[in-house]
Amino acid sequence: MAPVVSGTELMVRMGELATSAVAGEVLVTIGLGSCVGVALVDARRPIVGLAHVMLPEAVGADGPIAKFADRGVPELARQVKALGAARLEAVIVGGAQMFSFGGSDGANIGARNEAAVREQLDRLGIPIRAAATGGRKGRTVRVHVHGTRVTVREVAGVEQELYGRGIQ
Amino acid sequence: MTHYTDMQLDALRELANIGSGNAGTALSAMLGQPVDISVPAAKALPLANAVEAAGDPETLATGVVLPIFGDIDATVVLLFPPDDEAILCTLLGVEPGTDDGYSALGEIGNILGCSYVNSLAEMTGLAIEPRPPETVADMVGAILASVLAVRADSTNLALVMDSRLIVEGQECELTFLLLPSLQGIDELLGRLGLA
Repeated sequence: MAPVVSGTELMVRMGELATSAVAGEVLVTIGLGSCVGVALVDARRPIVGLAHVMLPEAVGADGPIAKFADRGVPELARQVKALGAARLEAVIVGGAQMFSFGGSDGANIGARNEAAVREQLDRLGIPIRAAATGGRKGRTVRVHVHGTRVTVREVAGVEQELYGRGIQ
Repeated sequence: MTHYTDMQLDALRELANIGSGNAGTALSAMLGQPVDISVPAAKALPLANAVEAAGDPETLATGVVLPIFGDIDATVVLLFPPDDEAILCTLLGVEPGTDDGYSALGEIGNILGCSYVNSLAEMTGLAIEPRPPETVADMVGAILASVLAVRADSTNLALVMDSRLIVEGQECELTFLLLPSLQGIDELLGRLGLA
């Protein structure tokens, strides 16, 4: 396996999104539990974006732009296209169920997040090329501009490539 | 962004202080060792910052999570870093990293969480009780983000009441977080005459 490219890591925290077309930059979200990391990449050119979605549907107009899937995913698509991306593909990571308490509102937010993200991508006509979702473990996702790679790591695990030009 | 006054945050910090004091006494009785409590913090933070309140989000920790129900909704989270967890298990005479070890940590979490919550209930007159805890070993960020997401629909702010318990003479400490819902905070402040 190639050595990890030591690029500039840009943190995408809960409710945030970021885009990049700068070789060497890596968009990172650490510790996705029930949240979903949505990576959008251009199919031909090194243009990428990452959103850190926390909940399925917005109840009000305020809050960080990527907090809710129904606002964050279309906004990410818009911003990646603004950088010149034409043919978008998606990789989704996260949506785990860390805890099993039932309760009215606690019921599997992870699965609801994943469903909401898939619905938005479907509506926008963006195909999902790879996914590491569900289960009970937290995950960290990295979106590398160089090689347009998306890698994922579970706690105490190794970095695994989910998407990359090399495996196209 | 915060809409809490210094006086309100001071009062919440004092609640956390007394609650973690009681939890420390319970831990000390269990271990037969003195336990120190660090000065607790009470901070109103944007959600993304709240995830980082307990340190590097990628750090591995064992988290014991107790949902609190009753007059207020809240969650108590105890975080044990791996090395500290191992020391604690050894003090309790169980093998770290085994089912027995996790079960013992869950039980510690249960006892500490209950003593914390009971002292909150006594001080405020609120009827609140914890549900049985769940124990997970994962990244701190994943644990906290998943706890915060449950109540994040209508708020962009989290109140983090954070204290540390340190077992004297051992390199062993754990982080204790109380994450109330916003309505829960108003209710707490109301009972203290500070709403």
